Amino acid sequence: MLALALGARTCHNERVKAVLSTPKRRTRIVAAGVIYTIVVLVIGLAAGSRPNNLLIWVFACLLAAMVASGFVSGFMLMRVRARRIEPRRGRVGEALLVRYEITNTSRFIPAYDLHVKEHVDGSLLETAGDAWVLHAGPRDQVHAEAVFRPRLRGPIRLNAFEVTSTFPFDLLRKVLIFSQRSEVLIHPEVRALRSNLLSQITSGGMGGNRLSSSAGGNDDFFGVREYRPGDSIRQIAWKRLAGTGKLATIERSRSVPPRVRILLDLRVATNALKVTEGESARTLEEEAIVLAASFLALADRLGYEYSLSIAGVATPPVALRRGHFHREKLMSVLAAIDLDAVRTSGNGLAASDERATVVVVHADRTDTSIAPNEAWHFTARQFPTLVVTS
Amino acid sequence: MTLLRRYRFASFMLALVAMIAFAIAELDFQMLFISVVLATLSWYVTEGPRGRTLPDWMSNILVIAVLLWRGSSFLIDGDAVDAMGALGGILMWILLIKLYARRTSSEERQRFALSTMLVIAGCLESVEFAFGALVLVYGGVAIWAAMLWQLARSAETARASRQVIAGFAPPLEIAVGRRVVAQFRGIAIVSMVMVVALGTVVFVFFPRFAALGSMGGRGRTSVTGFSDEIRLRGGDRITESRRELFTVRWIDPDGTTRQLLRPLLLRGAVLTWYAANGERWVASRGEAGIRIFRTPAQNRFVALAAALKGDIGPMATAEIEMRSYASDVIFSTYAPVGVATSEPRSIALDPMTLILRDVSTDRVGRYWNYSLHVQSQPSAMVLDALAAGSSESDQYTLFPIPRMQAIALRILDEARVSETIPDTPALDADDAARFQYGREVARAIASWMRKQFTYTTDLSAFPRVVGEDPIVSFLERNRSGHCEYFASGLCAVLRSLKIESRIVTGFIAIEYDERAEHYIVRESNAHAWVEVRTGVNSWTAMDATPEESLLQIQERNRSFADGFRWMYSRLEFLWNSRVVSYDSAAQSTIADRVRSGWREAFGARLAQIGASMRNIASELSLGSAGGVWFATIAIGISTALLARLIVVNRTRRLRRLLHLEAVAPAEQRRLLRDAAFYVEALHVLERAGFSKPSHLTPRAFAESLRAHHAQTADAFAAIVEQFYRIRYGPTQNRSEEAVTHRSQILALRFALSQNSQRS
Repeated sequence: MLALALGARTCHNERVKAVLSTPKRRTRIVAAGVIYTIVVLVIGLAAGSRPNNLLIWVFACLLAAMVASGFVSGFMLMRVRARRIEPRRGRVGEALLVRYEITNTSRFIPAYDLHVKEHVDGSLLETAGDAWVLHAGPRDQVHAEAVFRPRLRGPIRLNAFEVTSTFPFDLLRKVLIFSQRSEVLIHPEVRALRSNLLSQITSGGMGGNRLSSSAGGNDDFFGVREYRPGDSIRQIAWKRLAGTGKLATIERSRSVPPRVRILLDLRVATNALKVTEGESARTLEEEAIVLAASFLALADRLGYEYSLSIAGVATPPVALRRGHFHREKLMSVLAAIDLDAVRTSGNGLAASDERATVVVVHADRTDTSIAPNEAWHFTARQFPTLVVTS
Repeated sequence: MTLLRRYRFASFMLALVAMIAFAIAELDFQMLFISVVLATLSWYVTEGPRGRTLPDWMSNILVIAVLLWRGSSFLIDGDAVDAMGALGGILMWILLIKLYARRTSSEERQRFALSTMLVIAGCLESVEFAFGALVLVYGGVAIWAAMLWQLARSAETARASRQVIAGFAPPLEIAVGRRVVAQFRGIAIVSMVMVVALGTVVFVFFPRFAALGSMGGRGRTSVTGFSDEIRLRGGDRITESRRELFTVRWIDPDGTTRQLLRPLLLRGAVLTWYAANGERWVASRGEAGIRIFRTPAQNRFVALAAALKGDIGPMATAEIEMRSYASDVIFSTYAPVGVATSEPRSIALDPMTLILRDVSTDRVGRYWNYSLHVQSQPSAMVLDALAAGSSESDQYTLFPIPRMQAIALRILDEARVSETIPDTPALDADDAARFQYGREVARAIASWMRKQFTYTTDLSAFPRVVGEDPIVSFLERNRSGHCEYFASGLCAVLRSLKIESRIVTGFIAIEYDERAEHYIVRESNAHAWVEVRTGVNSWTAMDATPEESLLQIQERNRSFADGFRWMYSRLEFLWNSRVVSYDSAAQSTIADRVRSGWREAFGARLAQIGASMRNIASELSLGSAGGVWFATIAIGISTALLARLIVVNRTRRLRRLLHLEAVAPAEQRRLLRDAAFYVEALHVLERAGFSKPSHLTPRAFAESLRAHHAQTADAFAAIVEQFYRIRYGPTQNRSEEAVTHRSQILALRFALSQNSQRS
């Protein structure tokens, strides 16, 4: 699962195939084309019944425009190739930018008004419009950008996309269908929690400010080690030198930020959750995941060292860390949770000697047996009381 | 102005051209002026530095007001014939309002549709060259505007979709550089050329069932011009047209070119019936007695009076050269006795009227030059030969308005005051006396009318009396009109006096170019006059229209632009000849020419080849098996050519694949032979779904395969290493190495099959 979470991997051969494989071609009639055809037919009937060569000429030109439209857009798309650039991870409720690399391999014919449309389930990704490029000149490579808004957490599979154009007269739509499978992992939504929430539950506790067990700071005494050239003269242990005659350097400990471990309790299967009438068990679980993600985001924002454990789902232990990559890794873990999988036992907590505040997030109800006594317990139903109200 | 901004200008130009075209089609210069001024103003108002547009509610109210105003005007005093003109007027006003409205996508669509409908309405109103040229311009602008609109609309949609998710994604920025514009121009030109070319093909092959006739009315305004009927209520105001139709060179029997003392009357149609209910003169459409002559090529004359042998007396020659006019009618002075054309034509002669008409079916256009032998005062023998025994008719004394007889007698009395009019011949008088009386009376009344009546082309000052025939109004009330009224009045009076007469329409040639020594016949020289029977088959022209008035109009309308009109006339002749008058006959002629051309080009060659083959077979004594031998050789050559083509294509593809373009030919051949195993490996991978991207080197491609399947990558890497040694190193592909390559390919296949089984 972690392998899946750590990156939305697109098989290389898929990418390669997408670049060089010949796309499927389709021609579709658009509404304007239907109306236009009817008008042309009416004019054709009038021209046939009335001895007016000018009317026939107009009809001929209108008919020719229809044919020319098909020819021009057909030639234009003849040598156009496209591939989807592997999308980055998305987040529910935020924009997901998907870029496409469009290559016009034609030597002479430019391509205009190219739309790129993704074949994707609308319940997973809400699209805000096709990707569009005005122009791809002969032997040009351009990038188009589509904006989606993910609706659900988890991996989303992108299969095929199509490059279309109705240029020049908007009568026929020429379509190139490119098959390129790839996956994008959608992280859970992050809501803004009250900023003092974590500081309230971690201050003074076992997760509060403390000295680390490693050297590097400049506060309290940590130990003495052998002198190494380059050590500051201020740090030399003069008393030890006087006693032993050997140069030694005093090491001092450094202060570390508070630590928090988020424990997501998913031990109870979805159908075993206790829900009230009108409440959805799956929604509660998803809300719990969102709450956990929000705690992680808040901890990251406040500079805490943090980590995530998931009870009920097999996940490898992750050490307490901070930083962007650590956060993204944990978010990916949350994103990849399969709620339909069989739940496991165990609390998933790290070593018992870890000094960190434990925040347990439950879906439906609190179960204090899962964590040490000092742990803080929240349920998904409490979410509205924890978020910032504007 | 960027490419996307240009759309606004293109849209404006489209509307402007449509309005100008429609105004030209309607020949309404007031409409032209107003529409151009208002449209130009709209550009400044809406697109100027402080652009303002009409609010939607106001533009909607204005559109409704226009519909009510123009619709009620048409219902109250509109003519059903002019329905298309009225509709066009409404469209034009709505279009003008839309030019001031907001520029939304919907408004743009409406503007585009209105412009197109306006042009189509114009097509139903006019076939003039000026309008046709504007339709062509409109077509070009429409293509340009449609393409720009397509881009502008897509850009607008893309921007709008970004605004929907504002705050989540950066706004769309569209870069439009010079290169984009230049390439757009190119593709627009290609589209235009394609539309014109395909349109021409459709135009040429479009089935034409109906004969070309009247090309639509022009409402209450008409231009002067030849017609084979006279509508006395056709229009109140006649606009003088200076268009050059053709030229006439008069050559006397002695060969001298000169200007005649009297204007030259060129006959085009003879009108015999007056339909009082329709207030129009029409020609009799009898087909009886029509004789067809086939003219020889190279301007050799064919005699129309074929029955006459020997000398028929001195004949003048009229050489007619068409400038812009395309018609079946062969205009001729009275009486034609011979006709010559530059290319063979079928000419029909109506013996009753001596009107000539081109009835050729093997033609594309109607434009051609011809010469006529004419006799100004033909002998009775010549006229009898031309008439060739056609039956007599009493239709020339019929006039359907009884009241006209009293009017005629009153006019006769009035004319008698100033003119010499002979006494009415006795009932038992012979034909000669009757014809003499008719001629004298016609001459006297025509002379009297020239003095008493005034010539005008503007009849709008004379109110129409309901229930009164226009000829009666002309003779009794107005005493003013143009040549059609003069001819109608004179003919009506003569017929009421039982004098045989008929109306002739055609042209009067009065403008003589001394330098070029020919008459110039313009559209405004269209004329109508009367012919009175002065013999059994003899008719004499009587023109009641004051000649001075015609000359004055001619002088008045002469302008500096006349000197350059020939250029326009040439284009106009092409338009009329090739477009307006293109019909099913021209279509079948083109089809025949293509067919015969095809047959000539290939039929003869095939026959020649067949003969050569027979000769060879007989020389080699192959007998009946010769055909089999030749077929075998042909198949062998074809197969060899096909094989050669395949090999060349394959070599070219491999050369490109292995990047050998810059390598010496000998080295190329070696590498193509030795590196075949590498190409085969690529094909194997491609079939398995692993195509090598052109931007990856072979080794990088092998490495990229490793991410998918290590065994496959290893197998391919070994092949790549071997390929590198052959391609860049000194290694020659010896025969024992070929075995190695074979095993490497097999290893690759095996690795791929393992991979597919696992997945």
